[in-house]
Amino acid sequence: MDRSTTPSRPPLRSVLLRSRKHTVLGVDPQHLIRWFFGGNASIAVIVLVLIMIFLLREGIDFLPTYRHELQTYRRAGLEFCDIIDQPLQQNQALSSSLRQAVSASLETLSKSARDRRDAAFLLKRQIEDKTTQASESLSQALEKTPPLPPEELAVLRSELQKATATAAASLTYPDLFNAAEREQLQREFAALTPEVTDLPPLLQTLAADFTAKDHEARTKFASLVQAQEEFEAATEPLQEVVDELKQHAQETKEKAVEFEVLETNRLRLLEAAAKENDPAEKDSLTKEAEASFTEAVNLPERIQAITSRATELREQVEKYAQVIEKAAAVLPTDAGTSVARTMVNDVREGIPVHAQAMRQAAAQLDSWRWDKPVSIFTVVGAFFFGTSWITNSSWQDFFGFVPLLSGSLVIAFIAILIATPVSVVAAIYTNQFASESEKELIKPVIEFIQAIPSVVLGFIGISLVGNLIKDVSEWSWLQWVPGFPIQERLNMFNAGCLLAFMAVPTMFSLSEDALNNVPRAYIDASDALGATKLQTVFRVIVPAGISGILSAILLGLGRVIGETMVVLLVAGNRIAIPDFSAGPGAIFQPAHTLTGIIAQELGEVSRGSSHWQALFMVGIVLFVISLLVNWCARAVARRFEPHKA
Amino acid sequence: MKTAILTLVTTFAAALSLQAQTTLRIRGSDTLGAKLVPQLAEAFKKQGGKVSFDIAAEGSSTAFTNLASGTAEVGMSSRKVKADERTLCRSKGVSLTEFEVAWDMITVVVNKNNPISDLSSKQILQIFAGDIKDWSEVGGTPGPISVYTRNTSSGTYKDFMGLAMKGREYGTNSQKMAGNEQIASEVASNSNGIGYVGYAYAGAKGIKIVSIGGKAPSPAAVKKYPLSRPTFLYTNGAPTGTTKEFIDFCLSPAGDAIVAKGGFVPLSIAK
Repeated sequence: MDRSTTPSRPPLRSVLLRSRKHTVLGVDPQHLIRWFFGGNASIAVIVLVLIMIFLLREGIDFLPTYRHELQTYRRAGLEFCDIIDQPLQQNQALSSSLRQAVSASLETLSKSARDRRDAAFLLKRQIEDKTTQASESLSQALEKTPPLPPEELAVLRSELQKATATAAASLTYPDLFNAAEREQLQREFAALTPEVTDLPPLLQTLAADFTAKDHEARTKFASLVQAQEEFEAATEPLQEVVDELKQHAQETKEKAVEFEVLETNRLRLLEAAAKENDPAEKDSLTKEAEASFTEAVNLPERIQAITSRATELREQVEKYAQVIEKAAAVLPTDAGTSVARTMVNDVREGIPVHAQAMRQAAAQLDSWRWDKPVSIFTVVGAFFFGTSWITNSSWQDFFGFVPLLSGSLVIAFIAILIATPVSVVAAIYTNQFASESEKELIKPVIEFIQAIPSVVLGFIGISLVGNLIKDVSEWSWLQWVPGFPIQERLNMFNAGCLLAFMAVPTMFSLSEDALNNVPRAYIDASDALGATKLQTVFRVIVPAGISGILSAILLGLGRVIGETMVVLLVAGNRIAIPDFSAGPGAIFQPAHTLTGIIAQELGEVSRGSSHWQALFMVGIVLFVISLLVNWCARAVARRFEPHKA
Repeated sequence: MKTAILTLVTTFAAALSLQAQTTLRIRGSDTLGAKLVPQLAEAFKKQGGKVSFDIAAEGSSTAFTNLASGTAEVGMSSRKVKADERTLCRSKGVSLTEFEVAWDMITVVVNKNNPISDLSSKQILQIFAGDIKDWSEVGGTPGPISVYTRNTSSGTYKDFMGLAMKGREYGTNSQKMAGNEQIASEVASNSNGIGYVGYAYAGAKGIKIVSIGGKAPSPAAVKKYPLSRPTFLYTNGAPTGTTKEFIDFCLSPAGDAIVAKGGFVPLSIAK
């Protein structure tokens, strides 16, 4: 049977209307959506990796560059000069103590005269401040040419007279002056006018009194004064020699650096000229290359000029050591006040130590070699363990990051110390004890703190918190606190308080979440055993949530270490390791931080210089610290996780 | 709907047309750039010329780094350019032209209630280098000295080191502040404070000027005062166009008058 039937096709209508699988660009839309979300996640990871690569690329060149600089430091002879110059600075500290001892002794006789004189001059200045307007208009009128008619001048003079009289009457005269003197002061101040340049007679007498008393004191303590002056003068011959050598070394360094910069430039231009096809361009590039030419520095010759004076230097050091040891023997044992006596004793003990240090330094001069290479380990040590960060110096830049690290760590420590109890206790209260309405108030308010811009907080720190801390530190009943009364209003404690304020919302939210996630089963079991609410909270819930609380603290720490604006404005910007000999009072000293130094100095560095690279190294260290803190937080969270029931 | 689009388009066009003016980027010294150069810029705009100014004052060192990298047309500096900065600019193809614009006197200031009103240059060197640590050493009321300086990007910082400290480094106890106003406010609030500011800022409340070896800063005595220094404007090569007009304005008598009002010493007196 011949069946010429084709396989049945469905009718066209149903073909068009049947639902097909939707495809976009030939791909299942489900896959597309999945790739979109996955792509966004991987963008974040890729950007992070790129940031790390960028930081490493800019910063890792620091080590070879710094090594080269330290090599120049050695070869130009600066290191040689510093062998003597550095320990010599100790003389200044001893001189300072001696000077203070001298003035403490002189004060025993001259203090009251000086206080009276200073008080009188202060009052005079206060009156001048109050009458500036009237006296300025009078002096301007007097300077005018042609001169004003006498009536107008008389008017101005009488105005000034009235102003000074009111000012003189309104001042409070201290008890240093007896009644007769107070009246005389008031009369003389009322007669102050810019036309008379001599001091009023009473002020002159007070000044003369002080000079007389001072002279008397100096004759009484003549031996101490003389010992101090001799000690200060002892450094001069040695310092002269060192200064000459330093100048020579500095010239060598400048010439060497100039030669390097111009030589690299010249080679670069020659290279560009060789590749250039256009003859006119080639010509101009070659000409520029020739213009960028200086002579190379003959290092051995220049170093010889310095090292040849090593014997002379050693002799001077020996002489200096002998002079100061003699001065130590001659220091008087009785120095007036007990304060002065302690200081003089300290100096007497410090001098032999200093002399010994100088002699040891002089002994090193012989074994110093200008061409000894600087190893990479020295450089690493110089950065990670160096104690001074000096930049833009006319002598030598040092990039030691310990002062910055110590500032950052102390401020972070203070901030965490303040923020942890506040946030954890608040979290426990909010989660366990607060009523619903209280929760609705507390949680949004604390979380709002996160929204405050850090620069506003820095501004509040400068204008409000600094003055507040300073005023509180002057209350007499708080003087037992170490470090009170504080010296600087911009200090580490100030920065720590503000950073604690910023860290509290993060730590609060995370701790509260941790407490919330404690399994219901634990709480029920505790209730079933008959525990009170307090016992449940502190013996079951908090220990169970401890992992979350610990990781909250660590994340708060990470936030605090990376904060820049607040510390830049408020921490005081002193690049020195805090003086921990003051005990806990050291937190009221100013300091600088890793983040602050980058923000402060990045504007001035030229791209690619050693300073630029040093700042990027600091950035790398910060990045590593943040990574470490975050990794610790996660490790802690994992370790203390309550076992899944 | 149509009117809304039309208004939007016309506003946009108007805004765009206003943008058709040159921008003069000025970078550098805080001493010059906080008050003086903005005042000069205002006066320059008032006398005509469609220029908009972009002034950022982060310290004299930033003037040279910006000129070298081409991100500024004019650099303000409160110190002379250093040899290695000139070399750096040369290696980037920038040749610096220098214009002296005003003289400034660096004034040493202490708190208003400090009895000291005069210090010798040696004492100033020792105080800022950290050798003298207590006010009693120079005849004042006993108390530790708090030293406030500018930070390393400042030209005033370098100038002070060269003029007053003979090249010695500042002591490690000095606190580095970002600008003249900050130093003035810190010294005013700390009775043991000492610092240095440009002469234009020395009249701030709460601080008083210290004379150096008997010489007090004043415009008439600018040559005799030990801490006077010239301040400069730098450009890349010979200035042209709006840059040239602005520099000419700063050096003209009208610019001189503004310099005098701003608390600096104009060239007419200093020369």
